[in-house]
Amino acid sequence: MALIEVEKHEVEEQKPEPVRVRGLPFFPHFLLREVVVMCLIAGGLIMLASIYPAGLLKPADPFDTPSPIYPEWYFLYVFGFLKFWTWNIGPIPAKMIGVTLPMVLWYGLLILVPFIDRNPSSDIRKRKVAVALGVIALIGILYFTYFSIVHH
Amino acid sequence: MTLNEKIYKWLDDRFKLSELLPPIVKHPAPLNVVSNPLYCLGGTAFLCFLILVVTGIFLAMYYKPTPAEAYKSVEHIMTAVPMGSLIRSVHHWAANTMIAAVMLHMMRIYFMGAYKKPRELNWVVGISLLLITTTFGFSGYLLPWDQLAFWATKIGTGIAGSIPVIGGYISLILVGGNDIGAETLTRFFAIHVMILPIAIATLLGLHFLMVRIQGISGRL
Ligand code: HEM
Repeated sequence: MALIEVEKHEVEEQKPEPVRVRGLPFFPHFLLREVVVMCLIAGGLIMLASIYPAGLLKPADPFDTPSPIYPEWYFLYVFGFLKFWTWNIGPIPAKMIGVTLPMVLWYGLLILVPFIDRNPSSDIRKRKVAVALGVIALIGILYFTYFSIVHH
Repeated sequence: MTLNEKIYKWLDDRFKLSELLPPIVKHPAPLNVVSNPLYCLGGTAFLCFLILVVTGIFLAMYYKPTPAEAYKSVEHIMTAVPMGSLIRSVHHWAANTMIAAVMLHMMRIYFMGAYKKPRELNWVVGISLLLITTTFGFSGYLLPWDQLAFWATKIGTGIAGSIPVIGGYISLILVGGNDIGAETLTRFFAIHVMILPIAIATLLGLHFLMVRIQGISGRL
C-alpha cells in the first residue's frame, strides 16, 4: 500500500495550494497507522475463519440434485432478476431478457459510466441525476438479491 | 559509523537511496484522504488479494484437480494438514471480504465522481477488475467438488450459456464438454490459479500506475 500513498501527496504538488499543506507525514505516522489497519483486517479475517470455518458438504453427485442451491452472494441478484422477469417482449423470450439485462447490459452500462456522465462537477449537490441513478441501481441490486432468497 | 549507516551507505552508493526515498517518506498524506476511511477500501481489497495469493499457494500444494481426488484432498486439508482448516477458511473469508471491499470501493468512486476526467480509463480498468474478482469467486466455488460446488456451477454455466450469441461459446469454453466433469474441473483450476492471477496482476499494475500518475481526486 506504500506505493499508493506515494501519489496522495502528488495532488498537493500539482495543485497550487493557497493554504499550507496540512497532512500526516508519511513516515512514520501514516505508515504506522496503515500497518495497524492492516493488522486489524488480517486479525479480523483470522477470527472470522476460526469462528466460521469454510464449509464442505457431501461429495458432488451428478444424479442427486440438492434442494436449495445458492450461488455466491454476489451473484444472487442475477438469479433474482431471472426469477423476477417473466414477460416476453415480442419475439424475445423472457429468459433471454432475464439473463442479458443483469449481466451484459448492466456491465456494459457500468463500463460506459464516465462517458455517459459528462457533467464535469464532482460536487455531490451538483450531480443529482447521477446520484439518483446510482441510488436506484443500488436499491435494485439489493431488491433482486432479496427476491432471489425469498422466492427460492 | 553504525551498522545501519553502513548498510544504508552501501545501498545508497548503488541505488541513490538519498534521491529516491525523500519524496516517498517526507511528503504528508493529505488530510481529506487521511481522515476519511472510505479511501481505505481500495487498499483493503489489495490487502485481501495479497492474503489470497499466500493462502492460495499453500492450498495448491495439497489440492488435486480431478473429480476422484478433489473432494478428498480438500477434506484432507480440513482434517489432517496442520493449520489446513485455518488456511482454507482464511482464503474463503479473504475472498468474500475482497469482493465486498471492491464493490464498496466502486461505490465510493461513483458517488464521489472520482471517475471523471482524467480518470475515465481507470474506471474502465476498475470494472474489468470487478469482473475478474467475481470470476475468481465463480471458478473457486467449483474446486472443492462438493454438492454445492457442482450444482451451483451447473446452474451458473447454464445461465452464462443462455446469453445470446456469445453464451454458447462461453459455456463451451468453461465446461469443455456436455456436462460438468473432469474437463470442467481442470479448466476451472487453470482459470483460477493461472489465467485470472496473471490478468489481475496486470490490471492492478495499470490501476496503481494510473493512480500514481493522476493522483487521488478530491476537493478539500
Ligand atoms: C481488485 C480490485 C481493486 C483494487 C485492489 C483497487 C485499488 C485501488 C486503490 C488502492 C486506489 C487508491 C484510492 C483508494 O483506495 O480509494 C484506487 C483508486 C481508484 N480505483 Fe480502484 N481498485 C480496485 C477496483 C476498482 C473498481 C471496481 C473501480 C471502478 C469501477 C475502480 C476505480 C478506481 C478509480 C477511478 C480510482 C481513482 C480514485 C481517485 O483518484 O480518487 N477500482 N483503486
